Amino acid sequence: MPGQLHLTSKQKLLHAFYYLVLLLFAAFYLLPFWGAITTSLKSSAEVFTTSPLSLPDRPTLEAYVAALNHLKKPLINSIVVTIGGTFFSVLLGSMCGYVFAQYRFKFDNIIFVLVVSAIFLPYQAILVPLFQTIRRLGLYDSVWGLILAHTVYGIPMMTLMFRSFYGDVPKCLVQQAMLDGYGPWTIYRRVILPSTKIATVTGVVFQFASIWNELLFALVLTGYDAMPATVSLNQMMGTLAAEWNVQMAGSIWLAMPVLVLYIVMGKYLIRGYMAGSVAAT
Amino acid sequence: MPSVSVRNLTVAYNKGRTLALDNLNLDIRDGEFCVFLGPSGCGKTTALLCIAGLLVPTSGSIKIGDQVVISDDKKTFVRPQERNIAMVFQEYALYPSMTVRGNMAFALENKKYPREEIDRKVNSIANMLGIEQLLDRKPAQLSGGQRQRVALGRALVRDPSLFLLDEPLGNLDAKLREQVRFELKRIQRQLGVTTIYVTHDQTEAMTLADRIVLMKDGKVMQQGSPKDLYNRPINTFVAGFVGTPKINFLECGVTAKENRPYFNFGRSSLPGSPSLKAKLSGKACVIGIRPSDFALADMSDPEAIKGTVELIEPMGDEILVHFMVENHLLVGKFDAADEDRVCERVAVKVDPEKLHVFDGKTGDRIA
Ligand SMILES: Nc1ncnc2c1ncn2[C@@H]1O[C@H](COP(=O)(O)OP(=O)(O)OP(=O)(O)O)[C@@H](O)[C@H]1O
Ligand SMILES: [Mg+2]
Repeated sequence: MPGQLHLTSKQKLLHAFYYLVLLLFAAFYLLPFWGAITTSLKSSAEVFTTSPLSLPDRPTLEAYVAALNHLKKPLINSIVVTIGGTFFSVLLGSMCGYVFAQYRFKFDNIIFVLVVSAIFLPYQAILVPLFQTIRRLGLYDSVWGLILAHTVYGIPMMTLMFRSFYGDVPKCLVQQAMLDGYGPWTIYRRVILPSTKIATVTGVVFQFASIWNELLFALVLTGYDAMPATVSLNQMMGTLAAEWNVQMAGSIWLAMPVLVLYIVMGKYLIRGYMAGSVAAT
Repeated sequence: MPSVSVRNLTVAYNKGRTLALDNLNLDIRDGEFCVFLGPSGCGKTTALLCIAGLLVPTSGSIKIGDQVVISDDKKTFVRPQERNIAMVFQEYALYPSMTVRGNMAFALENKKYPREEIDRKVNSIANMLGIEQLLDRKPAQLSGGQRQRVALGRALVRDPSLFLLDEPLGNLDAKLREQVRFELKRIQRQLGVTTIYVTHDQTEAMTLADRIVLMKDGKVMQQGSPKDLYNRPINTFVAGFVGTPKINFLECGVTAKENRPYFNFGRSSLPGSPSLKAKLSGKACVIGIRPSDFALADMSDPEAIKGTVELIEPMGDEILVHFMVENHLLVGKFDAADEDRVCERVAVKVDPEKLHVFDGKTGDRIA
């Protein structure tokens, strides 16, 4: 056949072996997920009598309904916090990245290193001061407190990421826009942002996934009212010890948004990671 | 339209280790078409960036019209946004997210032109550059030459007080280049906009320029009209850079006979102008002979130099003859009608007044 590689039988054997190994790994990684799906589709009675990996006899969505009832409010909190935190951290991080990438000013490198070093601060180290600050601000157990915390914590990473993306934008583009009579803000909005859409998508997905899945801040900064789904699910594990099907359904509810985001944005992400973020000039 | 004057402009990179511009002085008159010419890396782009205000020089001052845009002490600095300069970058710098139309209209939007006027201007320039069918494409969907024309068009739609064009025709094919070059010159005349045009192509420089600034290693070698540079190059570098085919150089000793100097190389010698005799005696020098300054002579002429013909290149109504004299390969340009006078050997003479004489050591012009 034209255009196809001709493999010797030895090579074929080797390929088969590679695939086998990869399949084993894939199966190993997917096993828990498989267990979660099958269990979540079983009725409470069936959970006890069958193995977690077996297919449900009579698939039912009752666990999903139960989980949703339990998680309704926390899921809404999660959505609000994630959208808010993602929006602000990406926006501010991208603006910082733009400034660090395109402008030279006094102590710029030192300031940049200081900002970015915050990425390496362990979560636990800032937990107590964070808690105290948020409480002083009167934002304890409010989605705004959590949004603030995630925004501040996200900015260093986003600054680093966007600086490297915007560093790839040819300098002459910015110079051209200056000669066309525009100031820094318009250049950012009308030249930089539209020509680095992949960078923005990458930032959004990254922040969305990390904020959505975050547990520790949420645990410390919220009580009942602003509790996001991760915390709530965690509590479910404690209180509904026996109802595995509901817990698995809850996990799947929780995993859904990030999963969908990855599937929809996947092709941009791969391109964003692999290649420069700027289309040909 | 303003004049541009540049005083002692110096730009150092790498903490002073690379001098991209070394004490550059320029005076470009109002409405002039000035060409920066020079080999790659000589600082042409750097000079443009300084004039545009996109690069702050290490020292020196620049005046555009009556306005000092950067002063020696750097206390005065006019931002690029306020200089009303249109520039075509060597790398095109088209906005990737905008269509061709959007690219061309971008600067006009800033000046709050009415929509219809923007459209009218964009369409007319696009027509002139032959890119009207590309107006709704994105830059990524264009070929290199098309991008270059869009970049040029984007500069032309504006009403700038100064055009800075950094090799704007480098990527066009020969035919298109000639055509766009002609249009460019016509528009520039019509608008009377002071223009600085960068190229390393000397033909382009000769055909376009009112004034050529020939640069090397960040210094101006010579500036003047194309004629000046061609007829009176001040050193061997200028002589070698300007003119095609390239000028012939011969290293010679000088002897005086009767009242005129003779340039001797090997067993051949060429008579020089009597007026030079006093300046030259005994010096080693380099003479430059333009290929078109050779005249065919009879083999019997004792004053003529004789060589072996290596190659004849027909160029239509002219022929280029490569011939070997005393181990020097020389090129002469002759009328195609004289081709039958060139056989295996050729005899040539040069009008003594047309010889370019340079110092053998420094390469500076003696006469
Ligand atoms: N950002 C920079 N950092 C360090 N050196 C630089 C920088 N930009 C230019 N140079 C150096 O300055 C010198 C002049 O560069 P410039 O770009 O002005 O050359 P040019 O005449 O435009 O050349 P070309 O015809 O190849 O475009 C070169 O030696 C170059 O290596
Ligand atoms: Mg250049």
